Amino acid sequence: MAESLKPGAGRAPGHTYQEAILKDSSKPPEAFLDYSYEFMGDQDIPYRHYTSKDYAAREMENLWPHVWQMACREEHIAEPGDYQVYDIGHLSAIVTRTESMEIKAYVNACMHRGTALKPPGDNGFCQSFRCPFHGWIYSLDGELVEVPESWDFPHVGAETHSLREILVDTWAGFVFVNFDRESEPLDQFLGVLPEHFKDFDIGNRYIETHVCKRLPVNWKAAEEAFMEAYHVKETHAGGRDFSEPVTTYDVYPLNVSRFIHTVGSVNPRMPVPPTEQELLSAMWGRRGANDQACPTVPDGVTARDVYAEVVKKSLGEQYGQDFSHYSTAQTLDSIEYFLFPNFFIFPGLSLPMAYRFRPDPSDPDYSYFDLYFLRPSQPGVTPPPPPEPIMLDVKDSYTLAEGLGFLGAVYDQDTDNMAAQTRGFKTCAKGGQTLGNYQEVRIRHLHSRVQDYVGDDQ
Amino acid sequence: MTTLEMLALAPDQREVVTVGDSCVLVCNVGGVHYAVENRCTHQETTLHEGRIRHGFIACPLHGVRFDLKTGEPKGDLTRIPLRTFSVTEEDGTLTISDAES
Repeated sequence: MAESLKPGAGRAPGHTYQEAILKDSSKPPEAFLDYSYEFMGDQDIPYRHYTSKDYAAREMENLWPHVWQMACREEHIAEPGDYQVYDIGHLSAIVTRTESMEIKAYVNACMHRGTALKPPGDNGFCQSFRCPFHGWIYSLDGELVEVPESWDFPHVGAETHSLREILVDTWAGFVFVNFDRESEPLDQFLGVLPEHFKDFDIGNRYIETHVCKRLPVNWKAAEEAFMEAYHVKETHAGGRDFSEPVTTYDVYPLNVSRFIHTVGSVNPRMPVPPTEQELLSAMWGRRGANDQACPTVPDGVTARDVYAEVVKKSLGEQYGQDFSHYSTAQTLDSIEYFLFPNFFIFPGLSLPMAYRFRPDPSDPDYSYFDLYFLRPSQPGVTPPPPPEPIMLDVKDSYTLAEGLGFLGAVYDQDTDNMAAQTRGFKTCAKGGQTLGNYQEVRIRHLHSRVQDYVGDDQ
Repeated sequence: MTTLEMLALAPDQREVVTVGDSCVLVCNVGGVHYAVENRCTHQETTLHEGRIRHGFIACPLHGVRFDLKTGEPKGDLTRIPLRTFSVTEEDGTLTISDAES
């Protein structure tokens, strides 16, 4: 225990992530070298913030209607009339593409008697939005264009009864909505994200796989399972030292946090450090191309640099692109950014994920997790259309979903922890989660932002 | 069992035909022919003016989508699949059959 240090000043022995990647042969992006940690306190996070129906109701009233949320990718609504329904709690929006190719979003409710125009989670394509109850029709621009038996509605017109628009904007190919028309613009909400992502062409990726699973845990605890790498050694590697990555944790105003951890670097904590050749063999074994013999690491070269070249070449051939300008860190490392309240994206080349979490409005002990794999689009080739989501219920294994590869079993391990947490929250006498000051600071950052909207609960 | 022979359709073309007692929508989607009953299982509207994308047809009335291959609907408006018909192609001629496909 580093008792002489101030709270939050303690770090794992050895080099930092930023120091580790300076040993790569290629220069990492400037943003990767940034340190942006701050001590945010060490009080426990009350369990009632996860389990209380009252707290969930206050989140639904004070948080979710006022924040930007990723509704879909632009390719979900590629042509006029394509639409995607985004549901968050009891709120629902229709996101669509108009005839002039503009993206618009509307509250998903008929202006007659409130009927939802489209079912939850629906997507499709239409010429207009027609209410299934009495047949009121709205154009793709949201304008009320037809009221059957209009003689009975002299008090109704397009000026007063067109669909209610909500805010919509795009970043990196993602479509974001905000139900609060007085909200700050998206680019302000995004904070450092556009600057940190300028070396990644995320807009030019397509959805290869989409899995939506119901999780047995509150939405915040579900997100927290992906906010730290502290759990990796125990949850995913049976306690093996070899799996302990060197990680940086950073928080940025107001809505962004990140971790980045190395893949295939020497961890100074290990009693007997592996050789570069052993590091390469370990990465090679996970690659799934075992028909090729593992190369020999030349003297004076790191396993990371050798492996990064192999990955860039192989993914470059697979996706018809030149990735030679990617640094070793961009190519190999686990780079995870979080945008409050519910969106994660991995811009690196090897790990292609984006996540979205949403509460289950009927029960704070459950949530929904959309998992996307985004792959680089081939120049000159129309990417495949977005796949229909693979729906998994609480007990369904991720290994049932095609396209997740070895990660399916990894997500199952995370899900098992979530169910155990939900049970433990309710029996634990201590009253709240205790967090590490550094490695779990992103969790504290999340709760700090939730509190900004929800307020104190005492 | 009733069958109908017709000329194969050009890509993205569609045609409404009668097979036995059924009104059938035949369409060529990306080089593959499909045949489904031309009647939405939600409110019995004809489907032939609906948009076809990614192997689905959307009912022009309320937008219910049906998988043209299996007839299965998407969304909550109906749970009843469309009836599908078998299509075989030989030398530019399609045979549509109302046998269970």
